[in-house]
Amino acid sequence: MKAFWLIAGVVAALFALFAPLVLDRGTLNDIWNLALAVVLASAWNLLGGFAGQVSLGYSAFLGIGAYTTVLLSLRGTNPFLTLPLGAVLAAVFSLIIGLPAFRLRGPYFTIATIGVSEAVRVSASSVSFTGGSSGLRMPAGSFDFNVNYFSMIGLAILVVALAAYVKRSAFGRALAAIKQDVDAAEAVGVNSTQFKLAAHAVSAAIVAIAGSLYAINFQYIAPGSVFDFRLSLSIVLMPIIGGVGTVVGPVLGALIFSTLQIKLLSIPALRDSFLFIYGGLLIVTMLYEPAGLVGVGRRLARSLAGAR
Amino acid sequence: MQQLISVVLNSLLAAGLYATMAYGLAVIYGVMRIINLAHAGLMMLGAYVTLTLFSRFSIDPFVALIIVGPLFFLFGVLLYGAVGKRIVRSGATPSMESLLLLFGVWLVLQNLAYVIWTGDTQSILTSYTMKSVEIAGVRVGVPSLLVFLASAASLIFLHVLLKSTYLGKAIRAVTQNRDAALLSGVNADRISATAFGLGTAFAGIAGGMLSTLMAFTPDFGRSFLLKAFCIIVLGGMESITGVAIGALVLAALENGLAAYTSIPTSFQDAVSFALFFVALVAFPQGVPSLVTRFQRRAIIR
Repeated sequence: MKAFWLIAGVVAALFALFAPLVLDRGTLNDIWNLALAVVLASAWNLLGGFAGQVSLGYSAFLGIGAYTTVLLSLRGTNPFLTLPLGAVLAAVFSLIIGLPAFRLRGPYFTIATIGVSEAVRVSASSVSFTGGSSGLRMPAGSFDFNVNYFSMIGLAILVVALAAYVKRSAFGRALAAIKQDVDAAEAVGVNSTQFKLAAHAVSAAIVAIAGSLYAINFQYIAPGSVFDFRLSLSIVLMPIIGGVGTVVGPVLGALIFSTLQIKLLSIPALRDSFLFIYGGLLIVTMLYEPAGLVGVGRRLARSLAGAR
Repeated sequence: MQQLISVVLNSLLAAGLYATMAYGLAVIYGVMRIINLAHAGLMMLGAYVTLTLFSRFSIDPFVALIIVGPLFFLFGVLLYGAVGKRIVRSGATPSMESLLLLFGVWLVLQNLAYVIWTGDTQSILTSYTMKSVEIAGVRVGVPSLLVFLASAASLIFLHVLLKSTYLGKAIRAVTQNRDAALLSGVNADRISATAFGLGTAFAGIAGGMLSTLMAFTPDFGRSFLLKAFCIIVLGGMESITGVAIGALVLAALENGLAAYTSIPTSFQDAVSFALFFVALVAFPQGVPSLVTRFQRRAIIR
């Protein structure tokens, strides 16, 4: 099973890297969106999946990355040089939130993150430097399709590889211990707060880089788009539907999510209500298979093995 | 002085609505240890049902509440049968699965509303929407006064229900100690269904009342959900008095900040969300626990 996913991943990565030779712009844009989804889902999964800390506030990090890039680019910096700064700012912000919030457990943590992200969104819409509700535009001539395409694909490959590495590392095992039982993990010497903070900071930094690339790609951002609650939602839904806490799950979730998104957004009647489908998927997942698609796959594999 | 009266009066009026809004969450949390994220969707639905009753059948929104309450109670019981039953109460803290499940319910409700009522901003305009009366020298809008009276009525109804019926006693018993309640023969499944219905009914009523005060879209409800959380956290999660205290604290803070500081109103929500965060982290047992803690300290001395 592991070998299969490894080969599938390498094939997919190679396909994405060589796609610009054969495919048209529209399809490449879809692949770009898929890569963005993979990055967001896998990054969220580092904290939400591996450590079991479900955060509904990830749009804040995406927004921090996007705004760092746009604001500095407007002052003449090369957009790609702003990526590390956005990542650092988001990581710092994740620590500021995480220090108090990680005192809370389970659902209380989740609700606190909704509060934080809403506070960030409301504040961002009412201060002037974010462009208020009318948003900000990137300076003209800062867009190069190829650079933009390959940076997102590269980021996606790196993040999935990082997730696979973390899962096997001592760090990943500590996170898994925290997920299973915080008290037991503490008792055997895992400093749970430190590990949670570290996972939070790493995933926040990755999401901020994705946010910078988002700003470069769309050339326009507003608090209503990058700090949108629906964005936080999508980030959470993908790994959960795919299979929380696994390396493959978030990628599968992202694949389904972005394919559905493209299909659904082309139907005018569903443009506002596409989350209906995801809400339904979430209910079904939670009721019948909380381990997501990966869980369904495991069941199938088991029953196939049993039939033999 | 005039300003102080105005702040006190407005806080009191807002607190009534806030308490109704928050009680729905508190009763479900108390009985089932579930954080009902679908609450926001149910409030939104309450607003739209009230709107439909008003525009189709020209029923006054405050009369409509009498229909909305029982209707939502039924809906809540059905919802419990459909998804709530599956939620196993796992010990003292709510499970992540139940949170995400109800989150899914919220998404479905919200997007169902987009399909049925579209995303256009709606509002209810009655003959008295713009009218106001003068109380102690302060002008108060008639709708907010009516909202306060309706909230007070529903909270009194709730108080009587909880204090003097078997059902109410059973709900309080399960809230205090589920295992002991089960041992003394309380039917936990039925009580959970009733509590879920009650919570849903209160969400619907709160939504209906909100629809007379402001314009709304299917996305509406989220900021009120957070306010409701803030209130039950401030109030110590369970008791009805706690909810009332929490509602008063939040309303007084919001109105006080608006009147005495230069923080723009657009920041008001950010302030209450920040308060919510601080409250959750600093005193998760709520304001009542702070009081008992101080009392204990005083006794020790």
